[in-house]
Amino acid sequence: MKQLVAYITSGYPDIGFTTDLALALGESGVDQLELGVPFSDPVADGPVIEKANFRSLQNGFKFEDLLKVSKEVAPHVDTLWMGYFNLFYQYGMQRLLKEAANLHVKGMIIPDLPYEEAQSYSKDFNQYNVANIAFVAPTDSPKRIEHIVSDAKQFIYLVAYTGITGSGKHENLQAILRHIKSYSHTPVYVGFGVNANTAKEKAQGADGVIVGSAFVTILLDEHLSYTEKIKECTTLASSIKQKINE
Amino acid sequence: MYIPSPSTFDPDTNGHFGIFGGRYVPETLMPALLELHDEYEKIRFSRDFWSEVDYYLKDYVGRPSPLYFAANISKELKARIYLKREDLNHTGAHKVNNVIAQGLMAKRLGKKKIIAETGAGQHGVATATICALLGLECEIFMGAKDVARQELNVFRMKLLGATVHAVESGSCTLKDAMNDAIRHWVTHARDTFYIIGTVAGPHPYPMMVRDFQAIIGWEARAQILEKENRLPDTVIACIGGGSNAIGMFQHFLDDKEVTCIGIEAGGLGVETEQHGASLLKGRPGVLHGQMSYLLQDPDGQILEAHSISAGLDYPGIGPEHAFHKENRSVAYDNITDSEALDAFVWLSQKEGIIPAFESAHAIAYLKKIDNIEGKLIIVNLSGRGDKDMIQAKEILHFN
Repeated sequence: MKQLVAYITSGYPDIGFTTDLALALGESGVDQLELGVPFSDPVADGPVIEKANFRSLQNGFKFEDLLKVSKEVAPHVDTLWMGYFNLFYQYGMQRLLKEAANLHVKGMIIPDLPYEEAQSYSKDFNQYNVANIAFVAPTDSPKRIEHIVSDAKQFIYLVAYTGITGSGKHENLQAILRHIKSYSHTPVYVGFGVNANTAKEKAQGADGVIVGSAFVTILLDEHLSYTEKIKECTTLASSIKQKINE
Repeated sequence: MYIPSPSTFDPDTNGHFGIFGGRYVPETLMPALLELHDEYEKIRFSRDFWSEVDYYLKDYVGRPSPLYFAANISKELKARIYLKREDLNHTGAHKVNNVIAQGLMAKRLGKKKIIAETGAGQHGVATATICALLGLECEIFMGAKDVARQELNVFRMKLLGATVHAVESGSCTLKDAMNDAIRHWVTHARDTFYIIGTVAGPHPYPMMVRDFQAIIGWEARAQILEKENRLPDTVIACIGGGSNAIGMFQHFLDDKEVTCIGIEAGGLGVETEQHGASLLKGRPGVLHGQMSYLLQDPDGQILEAHSISAGLDYPGIGPEHAFHKENRSVAYDNITDSEALDAFVWLSQKEGIIPAFESAHAIAYLKKIDNIEGKLIIVNLSGRGDKDMIQAKEILHFN
């Protein structure tokens, strides 16, 4: 069965909502949850996730809130932390990974920590048995892919197009998927621009999809109540899960 | 002819100056950066490439820029003060030195689309100029606040044929312009060349831009030896990202008798939260592709900087400066908005030279040096003040 990973920005509108939504998603077909850590300068993200980051910080999100949410959520849903490197670096990588292990958080998704820079921390990731999710981009050569995926754990994050999250861009990924699969048996999930309309096509040849902006668009919808937001997110999750497995 | 030389302070192959620098970017950009690194290795010491740069620097920019003995302020301060006249360059600042070389690299790589971020607008104007010259498409990202306070430069860029994007996110200044430039670059990684304006960003930019700007120090060293037959006691430059400073310091760093001093933006005072003094008040962190000193809150969220000069209004600094701070190979201090403004008027009225607000910070420091009497000093006058006229007119009133 193809897997569904859901990204949500933590702390918008507040951490109580994030916790409720995370648990509800876990019961609606989401296999793994990316808890997004809001950052002031999210350069890999498009306008939707950027706005959610900004609003969450305006509402007073602090790094400690991530730990609070994770404590409630991680025992029930496989949880990963998605954030820009500075936030993790400021917390201290040793301290962070120890905390992650204690909370049963399975891995980190750090869009601005490429393979070369991550090498300094690979011992720490291994020591606490927390995965540093490997990114592959459509611009990567087969030689570089071989390098990057050599030690991949949990899953490989294949970026669906050259760009930022939540764009409507399309690229044919079949060749790159074949390259990845020739070097690694770790499952490959496709992320960026995956929504109800594109999920089936983006999942082709992959082992799963990662959906972010489509959920965050619902979070940002001012016309919906908390309950309605959760309902719409879980409906979307079930529908995507079904579509990728049709 | 200027050709860079290997430096004592060159980074490692992945661009690290000690813990600083590196390449903290989305994977999509890594192949482009590795390609740029390889390309730069090929041309770094190539006579062929540098003769092409040299041609434009001489005949188009007007280099070498003079080293001018500022007799009137020297007399007042009882010192010997020289100004390195980068303000006389075509487009009005040191920025053009870097942009010519990067523009020629883009051409070699076969990339016809150019993007750049800009704070004060000097780098945007320089980039738009070179794109016009070399027949490249040009898009400039500029914070909406800077678009408003530097409207003349915005008009210049448009006149030169560039598209200017006013960036409305965050603090609407240089930091946010750089975020959007990176987003655009990630989206067009295959065919777009990003001309970064300072010694910041992911490797190889900090090293590359330093090499491109080091012509300033290379010329200044020869000029001062010719005029004074000795090296200066002190060399002063202002710092936003830090390219004019590193360019000036580069050829004096190995001389123990020369003190290099970088001047950060003190804004409303470093005891307030309204300044741009990343080295003094920040701590190491990662932003815009590099590890360096950053103004940030305890969690690591980036804070807004403040300076009267748009070019210094940035919460980070080039990674090599972070290294020099910790290595104590350069001294750093700061100058407030109002001290810079006094120096802006002082230099205008004493020497008939109107400095850019940025450069006025370096000039202002002359009045803060202890025991300046008898000293031989070079100040890098990184840009001219024409772009600041509208803003200055709002603040200053003459009878």
